[in-house]
Amino acid sequence: MILTVTPNPALDKFYWLEDLPDDLGLTEEKSALRAEKSMTSAGGKGINVSVFLAAHGIDTVAMGFLGGHTGQIILRDVLARGVGANFVWIEEENRINVVLIVQGRGYHPIHIHEEGPRIPKEALEIFLRKYERMLLRAHYVVLAGALPPGVPPDFYQELSRRARARGVPVVVHAGGEPMLRALQERPFLVKPDVRETLRFGDMPLRTKEEVVAAGRHAIAQGASSCLISHHLTGDVLVSVDGVWEFEGKVPPSAFRNVVGADDALVGGILVGLKQGMDLVESVKYGMAAAVASAKVDEKLCLEKEKIAEELAQIEVQFRGKE
Amino acid sequence: MKVRDFVRRDLSAVERDTPVARAIKILENSGLSSLPVVDEEGKLVGIISERDIIRALVPEYVDMLHSASFLPSLDRLARKLREIENHPVERYMKKEVVVARLDDSDLHVADLMLRRGLKQLPVVDEEGHLVGVVRRIDLLSRL
Repeated sequence: MILTVTPNPALDKFYWLEDLPDDLGLTEEKSALRAEKSMTSAGGKGINVSVFLAAHGIDTVAMGFLGGHTGQIILRDVLARGVGANFVWIEEENRINVVLIVQGRGYHPIHIHEEGPRIPKEALEIFLRKYERMLLRAHYVVLAGALPPGVPPDFYQELSRRARARGVPVVVHAGGEPMLRALQERPFLVKPDVRETLRFGDMPLRTKEEVVAAGRHAIAQGASSCLISHHLTGDVLVSVDGVWEFEGKVPPSAFRNVVGADDALVGGILVGLKQGMDLVESVKYGMAAAVASAKVDEKLCLEKEKIAEELAQIEVQFRGKE
Repeated sequence: MKVRDFVRRDLSAVERDTPVARAIKILENSGLSSLPVVDEEGKLVGIISERDIIRALVPEYVDMLHSASFLPSLDRLARKLREIENHPVERYMKKEVVVARLDDSDLHVADLMLRRGLKQLPVVDEEGHLVGVVRRIDLLSRL
């Protein structure tokens, strides 16, 4: 079973617009934006990873905090997608994340993200007890996404420590201080979320060399491997065994919705590992899943055939041990 | 059809020392009519239902609940609830639990629910770990 932790689940609401006016001051007749299409689904990085895994027939359980009407919708969607659910209920409502996708610009969505509910101390304590129970059945743990208010920045470090004590490999799919702190607990894989800052701690990520340096820093801090995106279709894997570059030969114009592509990447890596592939082959499969997901309107491409088609477009280059 | 084909993989559960008030909140939010009680390893050790909690509030009325006219007022229940809300669910849970297993047939589960008058059954694996629940509606919606 693969356990995913999403401390700040969301209800993702996508709107596809024909156009978005440059001037949102707008005249009265233009003040309403009409969506050509909309879509709603349970979200948050860990939940997305679980949905991807369940679609591949892999036993997975999602954990986190749910509250209010939004929480009930999230739970219903998670269960309907074949994901096991073990959430802690809280009083406050879960967040709704809105994504606007303008026709022809699927590679550059506009996000409106809510902060999320405040997690009470009592809920954190209940979560940790549940987490300990689930660790007994987990083969991997995925710690994913930003932390909501009330959750301390060492949360992922603590969860990594507990997983390590039980011999369960951890994937950290998050950014900022919570991800950096988790490094010392020797996670199996770190996939830093660097979308907003283009930084890994204090280290810039403007060039490929800087990305490799940041990956090496993660290894020095304790991670076994680190996968960093340096542009929309390019990732660098750094491990103790060397450095690999992955490139998806796909033009950005082919992308319809890139939201969730990085979650498909992590899900794809885990599918590969569960199927017995080595890490490099698994990352290649994950990249194919990410590209396939970016090419469909839905957040995740769950069709194995489409993912298999993209595999041929993924180039892998070994850059050596140094 | 087997239970594994329609099990609701909701692992909402409480532990023996969970306060009654917390169990009520989880029942309200999860949409379940009863909650499995699990041990430190996630193995099923009991079940606490809405009815068990009501029974703890007004034992003498529990068999008359088909008519609210038997209750003088809800104030008495509210007062009693305040008294027991911090008690552990272990005090009121049922320890002998009817369970379903993933390879049970839909017919077997329907029969169990009908004969025992149950709205919901916990589902356990070979080692007794909770793996989900089956509700009457899960069966009905697949007929």
